[in-house]
Parts: sequence; C-alpha cells; structure tokens
Amino acid sequence: MAYGAAAAHGEHDHHPTGWKRWVYSTNHKDIGTMYIWLSFVAAIIGGAMSWYIRLELAHPGIQYIDDFQFYNVLVTAHGFLMVFFVVMPAMIGGFGNWFVPLMIGAPDMAFPRMNNISFWLLAAALVLLVLSTVVGDGPGTGWTVYPPLSNANYQPGPSVDFGILALHVAGASSILGAVNFIVTIFNMRAPGMTMHRMPLFVWAILVTAFLLLLAVPVLAGALTMLLTDRNFGTTFFAPDGGGDPVLWQHLFWFFGHPEVYIIIIPAFGIISQVISTFSKRPVFGYLGMAYAMVSIGVVGFIVWAHHMYTVGLDADARAYFTAATLIIAVPTGIKIFSWLATMWGGSIEFETPMLCAIGFIWLFVIGGVTGVLLANAGIDFAMHDTYYVVAHFHYVMAIAAIFAMFAGWYYWIGKMSGRQYPDLLSKVQFWVFFIGVNVLFFPQHFLGLAGMPRRIPDYPDAYWGWNYVSSIGALITAVGTFMFFYIVWYTYRSGKPVTADNPWGEGATTLEWVVPSPAPFHTHEELPVIGSGGRPTTQAAPAE
Amino acid sequence: MKNSGQKKKTMTAVMLFSLVGGMVGLSFASVPLYRLFCQVTGFGGTPNTEAVALPSEVSDTVVTVNFDANVNSDLPWAFKPVQRKVKVRLGQESLAHYTAANVSDQPVTGTATFSVTPYKAAPYFSKIACFCFNEQTLLPGQEVDMPVSFYVDPAILDDPGARDVKLITLSYTFHRTDDEETDKSSAKVAKASEVDRNGG
Repeated sequence: MAYGAAAAHGEHDHHPTGWKRWVYSTNHKDIGTMYIWLSFVAAIIGGAMSWYIRLELAHPGIQYIDDFQFYNVLVTAHGFLMVFFVVMPAMIGGFGNWFVPLMIGAPDMAFPRMNNISFWLLAAALVLLVLSTVVGDGPGTGWTVYPPLSNANYQPGPSVDFGILALHVAGASSILGAVNFIVTIFNMRAPGMTMHRMPLFVWAILVTAFLLLLAVPVLAGALTMLLTDRNFGTTFFAPDGGGDPVLWQHLFWFFGHPEVYIIIIPAFGIISQVISTFSKRPVFGYLGMAYAMVSIGVVGFIVWAHHMYTVGLDADARAYFTAATLIIAVPTGIKIFSWLATMWGGSIEFETPMLCAIGFIWLFVIGGVTGVLLANAGIDFAMHDTYYVVAHFHYVMAIAAIFAMFAGWYYWIGKMSGRQYPDLLSKVQFWVFFIGVNVLFFPQHFLGLAGMPRRIPDYPDAYWGWNYVSSIGALITAVGTFMFFYIVWYTYRSGKPVTADNPWGEGATTLEWVVPSPAPFHTHEELPVIGSGGRPTTQAAPAE
Repeated sequence: MKNSGQKKKTMTAVMLFSLVGGMVGLSFASVPLYRLFCQVTGFGGTPNTEAVALPSEVSDTVVTVNFDANVNSDLPWAFKPVQRKVKVRLGQESLAHYTAANVSDQPVTGTATFSVTPYKAAPYFSKIACFCFNEQTLLPGQEVDMPVSFYVDPAILDDPGARDVKLITLSYTFHRTDDEETDKSSAKVAKASEVDRNGG
C-alpha cells in the first residue's frame, strides 16, 4: 500500500523495498495487506465457480456442465476457497494482522517471522488446492469430504490427496497465526490496556484464535486418517476393516461447527467497531458483547452433531443436540440486540461501512432464524441436504461475512492506504450487492421447502421458477462484486487522500485512529498509556 | 525487561502449541474411544456380545430378523446367508447360518465385522456364539457353514425409544486379515465372480 508518509522519514525505518519487502515481510501491516490481496484473488476464483454453478442451474436440463464430476468439483472448490481462502484470510489474517496490534498499542505481532510463514503457508495451500482441481478428476466430495465418497474407490487419483494436503498446510498456517494472535494479545497490550478495555474486534480475534487452536488440529487428525485410508490401507472410516464412516462425520463436524464461528466471530468484531463509530456511541453492553462471543465459542464445541441428525443418532442424542444448539441463540441474540441498542438514540451517519454493517445484521438475522428452525432435529429430517440448508448457511455465514468484510474494508481503507473510497459509487455497490444476494439466496428457501436437494446439476422442471430468479440474483451479485473490485482499483489509483488521523470523527475511539493516515511502517514505537474508556492519555486523543 | 518479556511470550507460545498437540492426540484417541463408546452403549449398531445370558422368559412378541452379507473386494470369498430372514420370539435363542466359500486357489483368512440396524435395537440384540468372534481360514475351494446363535432381549419392550422395532437387520462384512501374498491375478478372477453373487 502507499507509504508516502513512511518514505518521507524513511531513514530510521530501514524497511526493505521491492519484492523483498513483501516476500520477506515481517511487518504486520504488510502481511495483513498480502492476506487481503490473497483473499481478493481467491474470491474471484471462488466467485467465478459459483456463477458457473448458477448458470448451469438457471434452467432444468444440462446446459454447460455435462461432466457431473466436474460439477461436484466446482461445488467442492467453491466451498473450500470461500471458507479457507477468502473469509478467513481477509478477516483474521488481513484485518486481524493490521488492526490487533494497532488497537492494543503494540508495535507489531509477537512473532513477526512466524507471521510471515503463516501467510506463505496459506499461499502454498491455495496453490495446492487449485492444483487439486486440475490433476486427475478433481475432488468431487463436497467440502465435507465424507467417506465413502472421498475414499480411493470413488475418488481415485491424486486430487483428493492434493486437497487434503492443501487443508493440512492451510491448517498449519491458521494454527501459527492463532498462536501469534493469542501471544500478542496476552503479552503485548500497552500499559493500561486491560483485557476489559480491549476493543471488541480484539476480543473477537482472541476468541477466534482459541477456536482455531482447538478445532483445526482435530481436522488435521481426521484428514491424516483419511489420507492413510486412501493410500496405505488403513480402515479408520471403512466398515470392512472395523472402521466407521460416521466417525469421520463426528470428527469433521467437531472441527466444522467451530469453523463457522471462526468465520463469523471476527465479523462480529468488525460490526461492533463500525456500528459504535457511526452511531457515535460506545457499544451497548460492552462486557456482555465480549462474553457473548466467548460463550458462543465455548458452546460451539458441543453442538456438532446437529449437522448429522440423519445418521441414526438416537432420540436422546438428538434431543440434547437440539437443545444445545438452540442455546446458542441466546448469546447471539445478546449481540444482535446490543447492536440495535447501540444504534438506538445514536446520531447515526449512514456512511458506506455503516450501510454494510446494517446489511450484515439483516442477513445474519435471517440466517439465524432459519438456523433456529433447522436446529430442531424433527424438522431437520425433512430439510437435511436441501436448498433450505444452502440458503441458511449462505445467509448466516457466507454473505453476512462478506458484508462484514466490505464494512471492514470501507471502514479501514483510509487508514490502510491513505486514500478514501469513492463515496457515491460505494453506496451504489452496497445496494447492488445487497439486492443481488437477497434475490440470489432468498428463493432457495422456497426450493428447499419444496424438497430440492443440494449438490445436483439438474432438477425437475417444477423447480425452474425460483432457480431462475436465484440465477438472476447471482448475476446482480456478480455486477456488485465487479463494482467492488473497480472501487478497490479506483481507490488505490485516484481515491481522495486521507490526511486526518481520524477521518470518522468522534465516534472512532480506538487506537488505530491516533496514528497517522496512512499508517506508517512502524507504529506505537513509544507505547501509548491507556486511561479509562480505552483512550490514550499520553497521545493526543481524537477530538471529543 | 525486554528479555523477560520475550521469555513470557515464548512460554505462552509453548503452552498454546502443547494445546494444539493435545488436540491432535485427542483426535486420534477418538478412534479407540469411539469404539469403546459404541460397544458400551450399542451406539451405531454395535450389538451386545459380552455378558450374554439368555433371559428366562420368552415373550409372545415376534420380530423379524433379516440377514445381510457383504465382502470386501480384497477377499476372494463368496459369502451369503442361507436364510434371508427368520421370525423369532423375543428372548428365544435362534440359530442362523451363512455359507462362505473360498473361490481362489490360495488359503485365505478373513474376519467379519458386524452391525445391527436400526441402531436403537442394537443394544437388545445379543449374540451368544458367532463365527465373527474369530478369524476364519478357508482352504482353496473350501466351503463352510457359519452359524450364528442369537436372541433379541425382551427388555426392548421396556424401552420407549425402541419398542416399535419389528424388523431388525443383522449385517456382516467379511474383510481380509492375512497378509496379501496371494497371487494378485487369481484374486482378481475371484473378485469378478463375486460381483455376480453379491450383486443384490
């Protein structure tokens, strides 16, 4: 990004230039920037895959994709890319790296070299994942990789093995990143920055990092078992050797359910900052908000089997998992109502980040409500693996997360690049994208209720109408996506320079707004001392 | 000051990495734990094979038991039940038969895994004697009778979650347990013939 200010007093910076600056980077801001760019690249690939899927599904019959294994590969790769290479890198690696040290008053992350290897492992994993689709037949397993579909009989060739290795490497990257965040947050807060004064975004990243540490190793273990099942004749998941394919589902979802919180909790953090800033009020119920995230994280580990109600769990187990799942609605409700209460009576400015944050709440609530419905084992028997589930999880964790990323990008781009986004165009982009995703995903509820199964390239004529509407929504969303990338390009090329430390005014109280814009290469070299309310006492606070 | 801070950071990192190690260990420990859990609770269709004592009373309620047979593709055996199904009274000991034939020209050893569906009936399905408790070795061309002795516990009638079960399926899957030193080509011939026999 543009370090005009840094170059001006560059003598004492000694930061490397050219490609070395990026490849060898140990700077949390540069690494964060690279994470965001990696996320952009993966988003274009993953998005293109989803548009191709919707193109095929616009009409019944087979139009474009006559190789059904390829259709399955598209579905699989779209899921993997969006989860592991778009949302996680942007929110945790990108905004997390950029703003956790800035917000707690630390000069950098605790282990800058480990930070570098985290990023490059992820880049390597992305290459492996893309390779997996071009060697052999591609992995046609769905992102859940259930055996027996994922075993060597049904997915021969190296594709699934490549995919497994990609996830292993991405998992190693996530674990290193998570350790780095936790060590930084526990040990490097500026004097006076107590845990209970940390901005909610920092809390969100802290909770997420712990979820990563506890969940990702389980995925790594399960993937290793699958790898040896496929290649070395073990039978962890094969009944004809004493194994059980359902064990995979338990292990996968023990990781997979916390994974959806790993995606959405950083979004909670971003939304809290944005809503507080543009309502010009501190967030309502700060402690409740922080511990709601903690309890969502904790309860998230004991609800995994609600993804597998139909494997033959007995009635008592289903009753337990239903009840435990419904409990998650309580802390989630605390968050929603606290955001609304923050806005209530606030002097709200509808800047683009705020629009995106309100869009997030809308999408998250719709997805949450359908989630409460799906949590009931009895209803889920009818809904399992239908488009209702597709609509639910795209609302609650996919497009909700995307809107949190938009909110974060619009909110922080002035600080990151020193240039402001074009205001009117960004608002148009918000509306186009918002309308697009709702037209895209809302009709899928109807398709699901009518019984249309997911992961099929063709469907009976009766499902045509809403599928067509949904595909039109995908087209509108595509326009919104390209508008966003145009805005990114325009901002870097000719966005209005941001000169003020704090362009957002009195509502923006966190520490990233006391350093210059764009943030220089090194910040907080002299540790700020934090007083009550999380405001620094030794540096000039933003205008009250 | 700076050094002690570095040490603290390293300590935190070491603790976090051991947490990661612990979780990896736990994921592998889940394999034996899961098996144990299934045996104790009958979860996932694991029938009762331990501490089997025939109940004194025989109930008038009759259930149907279906028999299913599968063979892993590496095992050159033909394996099928003699009877497709039997009707048994709860608490009554019954005997069912399977036949297994080695269709290769090598002696082959196999073991059967087993399961009971619906899963909720599994804890009440008790096996008194079963060929699946031991490894079985068949000489080339040998065909043997494999009996299984079982009963369905009348206690199933006292379980509100399982008392509606009227049809229970007992399934076996034979897989190879000896080293595969057999001539591969003969194994392939055997496989091809199996497909016909186990096609249903």
